[in-house]
Amino acid sequence: MVGASEAARMERLESQVENGGGGAWEYLCLVRKLKARRSNKVLKHGLSILNDHRARSKLGAEEWTLYEQVAFAAMDCQQHDVAKDCIAVLSKQFPGSIRIGRVEGMLLESKGAWAEAEKVYARLLDDSPLDQIIHKRKVAMAKAQGDLSAAVKFLNKYLEIFMADHDAWRELAEIYVSLQMYKQAAFCYEELILSQPTVPPYHLAYAEVLYTIGGLENLQTAKKYYASTVALTGGKNTRALYGVCSCSVAIRQLTKGRNKEEKEMSDLQTLAAEALQRDYKQRAPNKLPLLMSMLKNMKLNS
Amino acid sequence: MGAECCYEVSQIAYIKLVLHALKHRSAAVNGLLLGRLRQDGGATATVEIADTVPLSHSQIGLLPALELALIQIEEHFEAQGLSVVGYYHANERHDDVELGNAAKKIGDHIFRYFPRAAVLLLDNKKLERLQSSKGRDPVVQLYTRDSSKSWRQTGSDGSNQLTLKEPAANVVLLDYISSEKWQEIVDFDDHLDDISKDWLNPGLFN
Repeated sequence: MVGASEAARMERLESQVENGGGGAWEYLCLVRKLKARRSNKVLKHGLSILNDHRARSKLGAEEWTLYEQVAFAAMDCQQHDVAKDCIAVLSKQFPGSIRIGRVEGMLLESKGAWAEAEKVYARLLDDSPLDQIIHKRKVAMAKAQGDLSAAVKFLNKYLEIFMADHDAWRELAEIYVSLQMYKQAAFCYEELILSQPTVPPYHLAYAEVLYTIGGLENLQTAKKYYASTVALTGGKNTRALYGVCSCSVAIRQLTKGRNKEEKEMSDLQTLAAEALQRDYKQRAPNKLPLLMSMLKNMKLNS
Repeated sequence: MGAECCYEVSQIAYIKLVLHALKHRSAAVNGLLLGRLRQDGGATATVEIADTVPLSHSQIGLLPALELALIQIEEHFEAQGLSVVGYYHANERHDDVELGNAAKKIGDHIFRYFPRAAVLLLDNKKLERLQSSKGRDPVVQLYTRDSSKSWRQTGSDGSNQLTLKEPAANVVLLDYISSEKWQEIVDFDDHLDDISKDWLNPGLFN
Protein backbone atom coordinates (compact mmCIF):
# COMPACT_ATOMS: atom_id res chain seq x y z
CA MET A 1 0.00 0.00 0.00
CA VAL A 2 1.43 3.30 -1.03
CA GLY A 3 0.66 6.63 0.60
CA ALA A 4 -0.26 9.59 -1.57
CA SER A 5 2.93 11.58 -1.07
CA GLU A 6 5.15 8.57 -1.64
CA ALA A 7 3.23 7.67 -4.78
CA ALA A 8 3.71 11.21 -6.04
CA ARG A 9 7.44 11.05 -5.33
CA MET A 10 7.72 7.78 -7.18
CA GLU A 11 5.88 9.18 -10.20
CA ARG A 12 8.14 12.23 -10.24
CA LEU A 13 11.27 10.09 -10.11
CA GLU A 14 9.86 7.84 -12.80
CA SER A 15 9.30 10.65 -15.26
CA GLN A 16 12.66 12.12 -14.36
CA VAL A 17 14.42 8.86 -15.17
CA GLU A 18 12.32 8.33 -18.29
CA ASN A 19 13.30 11.72 -19.62
CA GLY A 20 17.00 11.12 -19.16
CA GLY A 21 17.34 13.10 -15.95
CA GLY A 22 19.13 10.36 -14.03
CA GLY A 23 18.16 8.99 -10.63
CA ALA A 24 17.56 5.45 -11.84
CA TRP A 25 19.02 3.79 -8.73
CA GLU A 26 17.01 6.04 -6.41
CA TYR A 27 13.87 5.20 -8.39
CA LEU A 28 14.55 1.46 -8.26
CA CYS A 29 15.14 1.60 -4.49
CA LEU A 30 11.88 3.49 -3.98
CA VAL A 31 9.94 0.99 -6.08
CA ARG A 32 11.43 -1.81 -3.99
CA LYS A 33 10.63 -0.07 -0.73
CA LEU A 34 7.04 0.68 -1.70
CA LYS A 35 6.62 -2.76 -3.27
CA ALA A 36 5.11 -1.05 -6.28
CA ARG A 37 4.55 -3.00 -9.45
CA ARG A 38 6.31 -1.07 -12.20
CA SER A 39 7.84 -3.95 -14.03
CA ASN A 40 8.24 -2.34 -17.47
CA LYS A 41 10.21 0.56 -16.07
CA VAL A 42 12.17 -1.50 -13.56
CA LEU A 43 13.23 -3.88 -16.29
CA LYS A 44 14.31 -1.10 -18.60
CA HIS A 45 16.25 0.98 -16.10
CA GLY A 46 17.50 -1.91 -14.01
CA LEU A 47 18.97 -3.60 -17.05
CA SER A 48 20.65 -0.41 -18.18
CA ILE A 49 22.49 -0.27 -14.87
CA LEU A 50 23.34 -3.98 -14.86
CA ASN A 51 24.65 -3.85 -18.40
CA ASP A 52 26.88 -0.93 -17.60
CA HIS A 53 30.01 -2.33 -15.98
CA ARG A 54 30.91 0.88 -14.19
CA ALA A 55 27.41 1.61 -12.88
CA ARG A 56 27.15 -1.95 -11.67
CA SER A 57 30.38 -1.91 -9.71
CA LYS A 58 29.33 1.35 -8.05
CA LEU A 59 26.47 -0.54 -6.41
CA GLY A 60 28.74 -2.78 -4.34
CA ALA A 61 26.78 -5.41 -2.47
CA GLU A 62 23.47 -3.92 -3.63
CA GLU A 63 24.26 -5.30 -7.08
CA TRP A 64 22.68 -8.64 -6.10
CA THR A 65 19.53 -6.98 -4.83
CA LEU A 66 19.21 -5.33 -8.20
CA TYR A 67 19.66 -8.63 -10.03
CA GLU A 68 16.83 -10.05 -7.98
CA GLN A 69 14.61 -7.02 -8.58
CA VAL A 70 15.26 -7.14 -12.32
CA ALA A 71 14.60 -10.89 -12.37
CA PHE A 72 11.13 -10.30 -10.87
CA ALA A 73 10.42 -7.47 -13.29
CA ALA A 74 11.52 -9.60 -16.21
CA MET A 75 9.19 -12.40 -15.15
CA ASP A 76 6.31 -9.95 -14.90
CA CYS A 77 7.05 -8.80 -18.44
CA GLN A 78 7.35 -12.38 -19.65
CA GLN A 79 11.02 -11.88 -20.52
CA HIS A 80 12.02 -15.29 -19.24
CA ASP A 81 15.50 -15.28 -20.74
CA VAL A 82 16.45 -12.11 -18.92
CA ALA A 83 15.13 -13.58 -15.68
CA LYS A 84 17.05 -16.77 -16.26
CA ASP A 85 20.27 -14.83 -16.84
CA CYS A 86 19.81 -12.86 -13.64
CA ILE A 87 19.14 -16.03 -11.69
CA ALA A 88 22.26 -17.63 -13.16
CA VAL A 89 24.39 -14.74 -11.92
CA LEU A 90 22.79 -14.92 -8.49
CA SER A 91 23.15 -18.72 -8.19
CA LYS A 92 26.83 -18.41 -8.98
CA GLN A 93 27.24 -15.82 -6.26
CA PHE A 94 25.04 -17.53 -3.68
CA PRO A 95 25.07 -21.27 -4.35
CA GLY A 96 22.40 -23.26 -2.50
CA SER A 97 20.62 -20.16 -1.29
CA ILE A 98 16.96 -20.54 -0.36
CA ARG A 99 16.25 -16.99 -1.42
CA ILE A 100 17.56 -17.73 -4.91
CA GLY A 101 15.60 -20.98 -4.87
CA ARG A 102 12.47 -18.91 -4.35
CA VAL A 103 13.27 -16.81 -7.37
CA GLU A 104 13.73 -19.97 -9.41
CA GLY A 105 10.34 -21.17 -8.22
CA MET A 106 8.79 -17.91 -9.30
CA LEU A 107 10.31 -18.21 -12.74
CA LEU A 108 8.57 -21.54 -13.10
CA GLU A 109 5.36 -19.88 -11.95
CA SER A 110 5.67 -17.13 -14.51
CA LYS A 111 6.01 -19.77 -17.21
CA GLY A 112 2.84 -21.42 -15.96
CA ALA A 113 4.72 -24.55 -14.81
CA TRP A 114 2.68 -24.81 -11.62
CA ALA A 115 3.46 -28.42 -10.69
CA GLU A 116 7.20 -27.91 -11.07
CA ALA A 117 7.07 -24.71 -9.06
CA GLU A 118 5.23 -26.54 -6.29
CA LYS A 119 7.97 -29.17 -6.20
CA VAL A 120 10.65 -26.52 -5.89
CA TYR A 121 8.80 -24.85 -3.04
CA ALA A 122 8.16 -28.15 -1.25
CA ARG A 123 11.87 -28.88 -1.37
CA LEU A 124 12.71 -25.42 -0.03
CA LEU A 125 10.15 -25.75 2.75
CA ASP A 126 11.89 -28.94 3.90
CA ASP A 127 14.95 -26.85 4.71
CA SER A 128 13.07 -23.79 5.86
CA PRO A 129 9.57 -24.72 7.03
CA LEU A 130 8.69 -21.29 8.39
CA ASP A 131 9.57 -19.32 5.30
CA GLN A 132 6.55 -17.03 4.96
CA ILE A 133 7.26 -16.00 1.41
CA ILE A 134 7.27 -19.59 0.18
CA HIS A 135 4.06 -20.35 2.03
CA LYS A 136 2.41 -17.42 0.33
CA ARG A 137 3.45 -18.61 -3.12
CA LYS A 138 0.84 -21.32 -2.78
CA VAL A 139 -1.80 -18.63 -2.45
CA ALA A 140 -0.35 -16.70 -5.36
CA MET A 141 -0.37 -19.75 -7.59
CA ALA A 142 -3.99 -20.53 -6.76
CA LYS A 143 -4.93 -16.93 -7.52
CA ALA A 144 -2.97 -16.94 -10.77
CA GLN A 145 -4.80 -20.04 -11.92
CA GLY A 146 -8.12 -18.40 -11.14
CA ASP A 147 -8.96 -20.68 -8.21
CA LEU A 148 -9.98 -17.99 -5.76
CA SER A 149 -11.68 -20.32 -3.31
CA ALA A 150 -8.43 -22.31 -3.01
CA ALA A 151 -6.52 -19.06 -2.58
CA VAL A 152 -8.88 -18.10 0.23
CA LYS A 153 -8.49 -21.50 1.86
CA PHE A 154 -4.69 -21.42 1.73
CA LEU A 155 -4.55 -17.84 2.90
CA ASN A 156 -6.77 -18.59 5.89
CA LYS A 157 -4.55 -21.53 6.80
CA TYR A 158 -1.50 -19.32 6.46
CA LEU A 159 -3.00 -16.66 8.71
CA GLU A 160 -3.72 -19.23 11.43
CA ILE A 161 0.04 -19.54 11.82
CA PHE A 162 1.27 -16.13 10.73
CA MET A 163 -1.52 -13.98 12.09
CA ALA A 164 0.61 -10.84 12.31
CA ASP A 165 1.13 -10.65 8.55
CA HIS A 166 -0.76 -7.49 7.66
CA ASP A 167 -0.17 -7.80 3.95
CA ALA A 168 -1.79 -11.21 4.04
CA TRP A 169 -4.87 -9.93 5.85
CA ARG A 170 -5.17 -7.17 3.28
CA GLU A 171 -4.80 -9.58 0.40
CA LEU A 172 -7.46 -11.81 1.91
CA ALA A 173 -9.80 -8.85 2.35
CA GLU A 174 -9.31 -7.84 -1.28
CA ILE A 175 -9.94 -11.37 -2.53
CA TYR A 176 -13.14 -11.50 -0.44
CA VAL A 177 -14.27 -8.20 -1.95
CA SER A 178 -13.66 -9.51 -5.44
CA LEU A 179 -15.83 -12.50 -4.52
CA GLN A 180 -18.46 -10.15 -3.04
CA MET A 181 -17.99 -11.85 0.35
CA TYR A 182 -18.21 -8.52 2.12
CA LYS A 183 -18.81 -9.74 5.66
CA GLN A 184 -15.65 -11.80 5.51
CA ALA A 185 -13.75 -8.83 4.08
CA ALA A 186 -15.04 -6.71 6.96
CA PHE A 187 -13.66 -9.24 9.42
CA CYS A 188 -10.20 -8.94 7.87
CA TYR A 189 -10.25 -5.17 8.12
CA GLU A 190 -11.37 -5.46 11.75
CA GLU A 191 -8.28 -7.57 12.45
CA LEU A 192 -6.11 -4.99 10.75
CA ILE A 193 -7.63 -2.07 12.64
CA LEU A 194 -7.21 -3.95 15.93
CA SER A 195 -3.52 -4.53 15.32
CA GLN A 196 -2.76 -1.21 13.65
CA PRO A 197 -5.38 1.28 14.82
CA THR A 198 -3.77 4.42 13.42
CA VAL A 199 -3.38 3.32 9.81
CA PRO A 200 -5.98 5.32 7.84
CA PRO A 201 -6.38 3.02 4.79
CA TYR A 202 -7.75 0.25 7.02
CA HIS A 203 -10.40 2.54 8.50
CA LEU A 204 -11.31 3.71 5.03
CA ALA A 205 -11.48 0.24 3.53
CA TYR A 206 -13.58 -1.00 6.45
CA ALA A 207 -16.01 1.89 6.00
CA GLU A 208 -16.29 1.20 2.27
CA VAL A 209 -17.04 -2.48 2.84
CA LEU A 210 -19.66 -1.72 5.49
CA TYR A 211 -21.29 0.83 3.20
CA THR A 212 -21.41 -1.78 0.47
CA ILE A 213 -23.11 -4.32 2.76
CA GLY A 214 -25.65 -1.68 3.76
CA GLY A 215 -28.28 -1.67 6.48
CA LEU A 216 -28.71 0.99 9.14
CA GLU A 217 -26.24 -0.34 11.68
CA ASN A 218 -23.50 -0.87 9.10
CA LEU A 219 -24.05 2.58 7.64
CA GLN A 220 -23.78 4.16 11.07
CA THR A 221 -20.57 2.26 11.76
CA ALA A 222 -19.27 3.12 8.29
CA LYS A 223 -19.87 6.78 9.00
CA LYS A 224 -17.85 6.48 12.21
CA TYR A 225 -14.94 4.93 10.33
CA TYR A 226 -15.11 7.47 7.53
CA ALA A 227 -14.96 10.06 10.31
CA SER A 228 -11.96 8.41 11.94
CA THR A 229 -10.26 8.36 8.53
CA VAL A 230 -10.92 12.08 8.22
CA ALA A 231 -9.42 12.60 11.65
CA LEU A 232 -6.38 10.42 10.96
CA THR A 233 -5.67 12.12 7.62
CA GLY A 234 -6.23 15.68 8.78
CA GLY A 235 -9.29 16.02 6.58
CA LYS A 236 -7.27 15.48 3.42
CA ASN A 237 -8.80 12.22 2.27
CA THR A 238 -11.39 12.90 -0.40
CA ARG A 239 -12.98 9.45 -0.24
CA ALA A 240 -13.53 9.77 3.50
CA LEU A 241 -15.14 13.20 3.14
CA TYR A 242 -17.43 11.92 0.41
CA GLY A 243 -18.10 8.84 2.52
CA VAL A 244 -19.34 10.89 5.46
CA CYS A 245 -21.79 12.63 3.13
CA SER A 246 -22.97 9.46 1.41
CA CYS A 247 -23.55 7.72 4.74
CA SER A 248 -25.54 10.66 6.05
CA VAL A 249 -27.85 10.55 3.05
CA ALA A 250 -28.28 6.80 3.21
CA ILE A 251 -28.95 6.86 6.96
CA ARG A 252 -31.45 9.66 6.59
CA GLN A 253 -33.27 7.71 3.90
CA LEU A 254 -33.49 4.67 6.13
CA THR A 255 -34.56 6.48 9.28
CA LYS A 256 -36.60 9.20 7.55
CA GLY A 257 -35.21 11.70 10.01
CA ARG A 258 -36.69 9.87 12.96
CA ASN A 259 -33.35 9.25 14.57
CA LYS A 260 -32.48 11.91 17.13
CA GLU A 261 -28.80 11.03 16.91
CA GLU A 262 -28.70 12.32 13.37
CA LYS A 263 -29.48 15.86 14.37
CA GLU A 264 -26.46 15.83 16.65
CA MET A 265 -24.21 14.34 14.01
CA SER A 266 -25.35 16.80 11.36
CA ASP A 267 -22.36 19.06 12.02
CA LEU A 268 -20.08 16.34 10.76
CA GLN A 269 -21.59 16.08 7.29
CA THR A 270 -21.82 19.85 6.93
CA LEU A 271 -18.14 20.16 7.76
CA ALA A 272 -17.27 17.36 5.35
CA ALA A 273 -19.31 19.02 2.59
CA GLU A 274 -17.59 22.33 3.25
CA ALA A 275 -14.16 20.72 3.20
CA LEU A 276 -14.94 19.10 -0.16
CA GLN A 277 -16.14 22.38 -1.62
CA ARG A 278 -13.05 24.21 -0.44
CA ASP A 279 -10.79 21.55 -1.86
CA TYR A 280 -12.53 21.38 -5.24
CA LYS A 281 -12.60 25.16 -5.52
CA GLN A 282 -8.86 25.21 -5.12
CA ARG A 283 -7.73 22.09 -6.97
CA ALA A 284 -10.53 21.02 -9.30
CA PRO A 285 -12.59 24.12 -10.06
CA ASN A 286 -14.02 22.73 -13.29
CA LYS A 287 -15.63 19.94 -11.29
CA LEU A 288 -17.00 22.22 -8.60
CA PRO A 289 -20.43 22.66 -10.21
CA LEU A 290 -20.91 18.87 -10.31
CA LEU A 291 -19.94 18.60 -6.66
CA MET A 292 -22.23 21.46 -5.62
CA SER A 293 -25.12 19.95 -7.50
CA MET A 294 -24.53 16.56 -5.87
CA LEU A 295 -24.30 18.07 -2.40
CA LYS A 296 -27.45 20.08 -3.05
CA ASN A 297 -29.32 16.92 -3.95
CA MET A 298 -27.99 15.37 -0.80
CA LYS A 299 -29.28 18.44 1.06
CA LEU A 300 -25.83 19.06 2.44
CA ASN A 301 -25.17 22.32 0.69
CA SER A 302 -25.15 25.23 3.10
CA MET B 1 -36.08 -7.19 -26.01
CA GLY B 2 -37.16 -8.94 -29.12
CA ALA B 3 -36.24 -6.10 -31.46
CA GLU B 4 -32.96 -6.02 -33.34
CA CYS B 5 -30.37 -3.81 -31.77
CA CYS B 6 -26.98 -2.75 -32.96
CA TYR B 7 -24.21 -1.32 -30.89
CA GLU B 8 -21.83 1.15 -32.43
CA VAL B 9 -18.71 2.18 -30.52
CA SER B 10 -16.96 5.43 -31.31
CA GLN B 11 -13.20 5.52 -31.64
CA ILE B 12 -12.75 7.70 -28.56
CA ALA B 13 -14.82 5.39 -26.39
CA TYR B 14 -13.09 2.28 -27.68
CA ILE B 15 -9.54 3.54 -27.37
CA LYS B 16 -10.02 4.97 -23.88
CA LEU B 17 -11.31 1.62 -22.73
CA VAL B 18 -8.33 -0.33 -24.04
CA LEU B 19 -5.79 2.24 -22.85
CA HIS B 20 -7.31 2.08 -19.38
CA ALA B 21 -6.84 -1.67 -19.30
CA LEU B 22 -3.27 -1.32 -20.56
CA LYS B 23 -2.40 1.18 -17.87
CA HIS B 24 -3.32 -1.29 -15.15
CA ARG B 25 -2.19 -4.60 -16.57
CA SER B 26 -2.13 -6.55 -13.35
CA ALA B 27 -5.56 -5.45 -12.18
CA ALA B 28 -9.14 -5.64 -13.28
CA VAL B 29 -10.46 -2.33 -14.57
CA ASN B 30 -13.91 -1.06 -15.32
CA GLY B 31 -15.75 1.96 -16.60
CA LEU B 32 -19.01 3.35 -17.87
CA LEU B 33 -20.24 3.65 -21.43
CA LEU B 34 -21.97 6.88 -22.39
CA GLY B 35 -24.22 7.18 -25.36
CA ARG B 36 -27.71 7.45 -26.79
CA LEU B 37 -30.31 5.33 -28.48
CA ARG B 38 -30.93 6.02 -32.16
CA GLN B 39 -34.11 4.72 -33.72
CA ASP B 40 -33.33 3.72 -37.27
CA GLY B 41 -36.90 3.31 -38.35
CA GLY B 42 -38.85 0.09 -38.29
CA ALA B 43 -37.88 -2.34 -35.60
CA THR B 44 -34.15 -1.66 -35.59
CA ALA B 45 -32.37 0.60 -33.19
CA THR B 46 -28.75 1.44 -32.62
CA VAL B 47 -27.09 2.23 -29.34
CA GLU B 48 -24.37 4.74 -30.11
CA ILE B 49 -21.62 4.42 -27.54
CA ALA B 50 -20.09 7.85 -27.87
CA ASP B 51 -17.71 8.01 -24.93
CA THR B 52 -16.42 6.10 -21.94
CA VAL B 53 -15.40 7.18 -18.48
CA PRO B 54 -12.81 4.91 -16.86
CA LEU B 55 -13.85 4.20 -13.31
CA SER B 56 -11.67 1.96 -11.26
CA HIS B 57 -8.59 -0.23 -11.12
CA SER B 58 -8.89 -1.55 -7.57
CA GLN B 59 -11.54 -2.97 -5.27
CA ILE B 60 -14.12 -3.09 -8.01
CA GLY B 61 -16.71 -4.81 -5.85
CA LEU B 62 -17.17 -1.81 -3.56
CA LEU B 63 -20.09 0.57 -3.82
CA PRO B 64 -19.12 4.07 -2.62
CA ALA B 65 -16.94 5.18 -5.54
CA LEU B 66 -19.31 3.61 -8.07
CA GLU B 67 -22.28 5.55 -6.66
CA LEU B 68 -20.40 8.83 -6.67
CA ALA B 69 -19.23 8.25 -10.20
CA LEU B 70 -22.69 7.40 -11.50
CA ILE B 71 -24.16 10.57 -9.98
CA GLN B 72 -21.48 12.93 -11.27
CA ILE B 73 -21.05 11.28 -14.66
CA GLU B 74 -24.77 11.16 -15.39
CA GLU B 75 -25.12 14.81 -14.51
CA HIS B 76 -22.17 15.89 -16.59
CA PHE B 77 -23.17 14.06 -19.75
CA GLU B 78 -26.84 14.96 -19.53
CA ALA B 79 -25.97 18.35 -20.95
CA GLN B 80 -24.63 16.65 -24.07
CA GLY B 81 -27.70 14.51 -24.46
CA LEU B 82 -25.81 11.39 -23.43
CA SER B 83 -26.62 8.95 -20.68
CA VAL B 84 -25.10 5.81 -19.22
CA VAL B 85 -25.81 3.05 -21.73
CA GLY B 86 -23.49 0.37 -20.50
CA TYR B 87 -20.42 -0.77 -18.66
CA TYR B 88 -17.02 -2.15 -19.56
CA HIS B 89 -14.78 -4.52 -17.71
CA ALA B 90 -11.36 -6.03 -18.21
CA ASN B 91 -10.44 -9.09 -16.14
CA GLU B 92 -7.37 -9.31 -13.97
CA ARG B 93 -6.03 -12.49 -15.51
CA HIS B 94 -4.98 -12.88 -19.11
CA ASP B 95 -6.84 -16.11 -19.70
CA ASP B 96 -10.00 -15.19 -17.84
CA VAL B 97 -12.74 -14.91 -20.44
CA GLU B 98 -15.71 -15.00 -18.09
CA LEU B 99 -17.92 -12.09 -17.25
CA GLY B 100 -17.64 -12.03 -13.45
CA ASN B 101 -20.36 -11.48 -10.89
CA ALA B 102 -19.31 -7.97 -9.96
CA ALA B 103 -19.53 -6.96 -13.62
CA LYS B 104 -22.93 -8.60 -13.99
CA LYS B 105 -24.27 -6.83 -10.91
CA ILE B 106 -23.19 -3.46 -12.17
CA GLY B 107 -24.62 -4.32 -15.56
CA ASP B 108 -27.92 -5.23 -13.93
CA HIS B 109 -28.03 -1.89 -12.18
CA ILE B 110 -27.51 -0.02 -15.44
CA PHE B 111 -30.03 -2.24 -17.19
CA ARG B 112 -32.72 -0.98 -14.84
CA TYR B 113 -32.32 2.50 -16.24
CA PHE B 114 -31.46 1.56 -19.80
CA PRO B 115 -32.96 -1.71 -20.99
CA ARG B 116 -30.61 -2.08 -23.95
CA ALA B 117 -27.57 -1.79 -21.74
CA ALA B 118 -24.36 -3.22 -23.13
CA VAL B 119 -21.54 -4.79 -21.21
CA LEU B 120 -18.20 -4.87 -22.99
CA LEU B 121 -15.57 -7.31 -21.81
CA LEU B 122 -12.02 -6.84 -23.02
CA ASP B 123 -10.77 -9.83 -24.99
CA ASN B 124 -7.16 -10.13 -23.86
CA LYS B 125 -6.18 -12.65 -26.48
CA LYS B 126 -7.57 -10.53 -29.32
CA LEU B 127 -5.76 -7.52 -27.95
CA GLU B 128 -2.53 -9.46 -27.79
CA ARG B 129 -2.91 -10.63 -31.38
CA LEU B 130 -3.81 -7.21 -32.65
CA GLN B 131 -0.24 -6.22 -33.33
CA SER B 132 0.32 -9.10 -35.71
CA SER B 133 -3.16 -9.67 -37.06
CA LYS B 134 -3.91 -6.02 -37.85
CA GLY B 135 -7.56 -6.99 -37.70
CA ARG B 136 -10.45 -4.57 -37.87
CA ASP B 137 -12.67 -6.29 -35.33
CA PRO B 138 -13.06 -4.70 -31.92
CA VAL B 139 -11.03 -6.39 -29.18
CA VAL B 140 -14.01 -6.51 -26.87
CA GLN B 141 -16.86 -8.95 -26.41
CA LEU B 142 -20.39 -7.62 -26.23
CA TYR B 143 -22.82 -8.97 -23.66
CA THR B 144 -26.51 -8.10 -23.53
CA ARG B 145 -29.32 -9.17 -21.24
CA ASP B 146 -31.55 -11.80 -22.76
CA SER B 147 -35.13 -12.62 -21.87
CA SER B 148 -34.03 -14.95 -19.07
CA LYS B 149 -32.36 -11.99 -17.33
CA SER B 150 -28.85 -13.31 -17.79
CA TRP B 151 -25.98 -11.68 -19.58
CA ARG B 152 -25.23 -13.45 -22.81
CA GLN B 153 -22.31 -12.99 -25.13
CA THR B 154 -23.53 -11.90 -28.54
CA GLY B 155 -22.39 -14.23 -31.24
CA SER B 156 -22.44 -14.34 -34.95
CA ASP B 157 -26.14 -15.13 -35.11
CA GLY B 158 -26.77 -11.71 -36.53
CA SER B 159 -28.62 -10.04 -33.68
CA ASN B 160 -27.09 -7.46 -31.37
CA GLN B 161 -24.06 -6.72 -33.46
CA LEU B 162 -21.16 -4.69 -32.21
CA THR B 163 -19.39 -2.45 -34.71
CA LEU B 164 -16.71 0.15 -34.59
CA LYS B 165 -17.99 3.46 -35.90
CA GLU B 166 -14.64 4.39 -37.42
CA PRO B 167 -13.28 1.36 -39.30
CA ALA B 168 -9.65 2.34 -38.78
CA ALA B 169 -10.03 2.48 -34.98
CA ASN B 170 -7.60 -0.40 -34.46
CA VAL B 171 -4.93 1.34 -36.50
CA VAL B 172 -5.23 4.42 -34.33
CA LEU B 173 -5.28 2.22 -31.23
CA LEU B 174 -2.06 0.46 -32.21
CA ASP B 175 -0.46 3.82 -32.76
CA TYR B 176 -1.41 4.99 -29.28
CA ILE B 177 -0.20 1.73 -27.78
CA SER B 178 3.22 2.09 -29.35
CA SER B 179 3.51 5.64 -28.07
CA GLU B 180 2.52 4.41 -24.57
CA LYS B 181 -0.45 6.76 -24.47
CA TRP B 182 -2.03 4.65 -21.73
CA GLN B 183 0.17 6.37 -19.15
CA GLU B 184 -1.97 9.48 -19.45
CA ILE B 185 -5.35 7.88 -18.81
CA VAL B 186 -7.11 9.08 -15.67
CA ASP B 187 -9.93 7.13 -14.06
CA PHE B 188 -12.38 8.06 -11.31
CA ASP B 189 -10.18 6.23 -8.78
CA ASP B 190 -7.26 8.48 -9.73
CA HIS B 191 -9.51 11.50 -9.30
CA LEU B 192 -10.52 10.42 -5.80
CA ASP B 193 -6.84 9.99 -4.92
CA ASP B 194 -6.00 13.41 -6.36
CA ILE B 195 -8.93 15.60 -7.36
CA SER B 196 -6.80 17.68 -9.68
CA LYS B 197 -6.83 14.69 -12.06
CA ASP B 198 -9.75 14.87 -14.46
CA TRP B 199 -11.73 11.70 -15.23
CA LEU B 200 -12.98 13.31 -18.42
CA ASN B 201 -9.47 12.96 -19.86
CA PRO B 202 -9.69 16.20 -21.83
CA GLY B 203 -6.79 16.65 -24.17
CA LEU B 204 -5.93 12.96 -24.14
CA PHE B 205 -6.20 12.72 -27.91
CA ASN B 206 -4.81 16.11 -28.80
